[in-house]
Amino acid sequence: MARVLEDDAKRLLASAGLRVPEFERASSAEAACSIASSFGGRAVVKALVPTGRRGKAGAVRLCAASLEAEVAASELIGSVVGPYPVDMVLVEEWVDIERELYLAFEIARGRPEYTLLMSADGGVEIESRPESVSRVPLDPIQLPSESDLAQLWDHLGLGALSLELGRVTHAALRLFIERDLTLLEINPLSVLPDGNVSCVGALMAIDDNALARQPDVAKVAIEGSERAWRPETVLEERVTSINADTSQRGSARYLELENGNIGFLCGGGGASLLLFDALVAAGGSPANYSEFGGNPTEQRVYDLTRVVLDKRGVQGLFVGHNLTNNTQVDVVAAGITRALQDAALAEPFPVIAREAGLHDKEGRRIFEEANVTYVGEETTLNAAADAMVDAMRKAGLV
Amino acid sequence: MSVLGTGGVIIQGITGREARMVAEHSVTYGTPLVAGVTPGKEGESVAGVPVFNSVTDAMGGIETEIDTSLISVPPFAVLAAGREALRAGIRRLVVATEGVPRHDMVKLLAEARAQDVAVIGPNSVGAITPSTCRKIGAIGGDRPERAFVPGHVGIISRSGGMTAEIGLTLRRAGLGVSTAISVGGDDLIGLPPEKAALLLQSDPCTHIICLFGEPGTPFEEELAQAMLAGHVTVPVVALIAGAFTETLPEGTAFGHAAAIIAGSSGRPSIKRRVLADAGGHVVDTLDELAGIVTALLKDGYTHAGD
Repeated sequence: MARVLEDDAKRLLASAGLRVPEFERASSAEAACSIASSFGGRAVVKALVPTGRRGKAGAVRLCAASLEAEVAASELIGSVVGPYPVDMVLVEEWVDIERELYLAFEIARGRPEYTLLMSADGGVEIESRPESVSRVPLDPIQLPSESDLAQLWDHLGLGALSLELGRVTHAALRLFIERDLTLLEINPLSVLPDGNVSCVGALMAIDDNALARQPDVAKVAIEGSERAWRPETVLEERVTSINADTSQRGSARYLELENGNIGFLCGGGGASLLLFDALVAAGGSPANYSEFGGNPTEQRVYDLTRVVLDKRGVQGLFVGHNLTNNTQVDVVAAGITRALQDAALAEPFPVIAREAGLHDKEGRRIFEEANVTYVGEETTLNAAADAMVDAMRKAGLV
Repeated sequence: MSVLGTGGVIIQGITGREARMVAEHSVTYGTPLVAGVTPGKEGESVAGVPVFNSVTDAMGGIETEIDTSLISVPPFAVLAAGREALRAGIRRLVVATEGVPRHDMVKLLAEARAQDVAVIGPNSVGAITPSTCRKIGAIGGDRPERAFVPGHVGIISRSGGMTAEIGLTLRRAGLGVSTAISVGGDDLIGLPPEKAALLLQSDPCTHIICLFGEPGTPFEEELAQAMLAGHVTVPVVALIAGAFTETLPEGTAFGHAAAIIAGSSGRPSIKRRVLADAGGHVVDTLDELAGIVTALLKDGYTHAGD
């Protein structure tokens, strides 16, 4: 899921016919000050980072005068909110609010349904009042009408406002579905003194599988923003660019770990998890996690292997795969052995490969010619991991 | 008993690179692949099987009753392909495609549920019943018998590759498989482990179930609930991979899209505990898995319907 920054989210809400406060981005305190002046001095300054709970983190400041906005912006820019460094703020018109509501849509966990979340009691404290949030399952085959949704608000005691809230909720639901959003949260959904309803806070995430058919959302989506807890390392960036080359077949994931001395070069999705657990259980210390598959080309395997070997402190390499359905073991072997030759490694450097499946006879020959210890289907994944840690131990590397 | 049906099988998207290979392997294995569908390619043939423009055309043009479709089309075409199959009256869909937009799967799975049509996947390498040489999908590759020989173990795996690896582990221990199902690596799938277990145990050939689980999703927890409630009655042996992911910061996906821990949900340690509390046999390694399955089958466990 890729998150969208709040101002981009609000532009999308506005395009769906929803009211939002006026806003502008600022990357300096001076700019924030002049934007606040243009709103008459009263403004809200928010750290522009793709995460919720900013109010709780002190990253949303109410400023009664433009000079206060300047101070707030200078404090926020350069600070860190959650994992995100703040390099911009959002300066918004300060609207008077009669009442704060909460509205969100998400896809239900594990069920083909949408979930509508709503509360008559929105705002920054919503996290501490989960009981105030109603969760309404929505059947995608029979979506609710504006009046169905108005009735839900009426049940929450919104009375005369319910009709307008039904319209707003319906428009938001359409946006959620039509734009392939995985999360749309409007908090607070604010009732203004004139009875209008405004989306004062917004959090939005789009399905990365759908980016190619949502070009205008894709432009502003921050890919991978829900997964990262730190920026990519240099080695991780190399793998990202390896994957970006769509002329090569196959896919690779790579996660650099802080310590460890066993280069980890494994696939598929499930087997790589099992093999990592198995190395750790045997007393080994992987230097990274990786997962590759999808019948990769020799070049792609080579490139990924070089990344794994280039991490400082790597003193051995463990290669493993489940019995492959379509990944060609000989191609994997060719890529890995060429990378091992080119990497100029210090001896001893234990390498064990457990590969079985398509073309594994030829794969064995290639591995063995390169002095890689090869084991095949007769060795379980767990036994192969044990053998790797044994080899490290014998080489004095554990 | 036929967990995967008995009628003819079609492949939607049969002229694609991957699907051609699957078609060849399926026909060689003995699966009754009777037609393929690719709009605009009617009149061609793949693996000796005729290609039609639509599912309806295929059903009209083939004498055999068709009950199963393998969907192997690009991600954005899955919803339309699935709807076409539902309209034509197909009873079972296996979606191989990876990276299907989530809203499309919400719609397709809801529509299939309303028509009581079973969906395996998406992001599944398929399912296989070795006793009838019926394989739907890439599962087993060109030599399914290398991993899957007939027997009494049902396999449920969130990982396609591990479906084969567990089959291989069992074969090397002298055991065979009733039906193996790769349920798919996504968090929104048509046949989550709980439902897969109920389906497998409806077959008297299934005496025991092996589950391969991963971090993320509530799937293993739901299976444990069904075991506690007495709905799943065959013994379950579970291997849950990814314990190490709990030591890393939350919110990173490992391997499969659904293998992501958020808050307290999705943790392998919790999945292991609830499955064990529900009477499951939770193992740490494949070697242990083979040992326990062998012991349980030797103990004379037989399914009530056998």
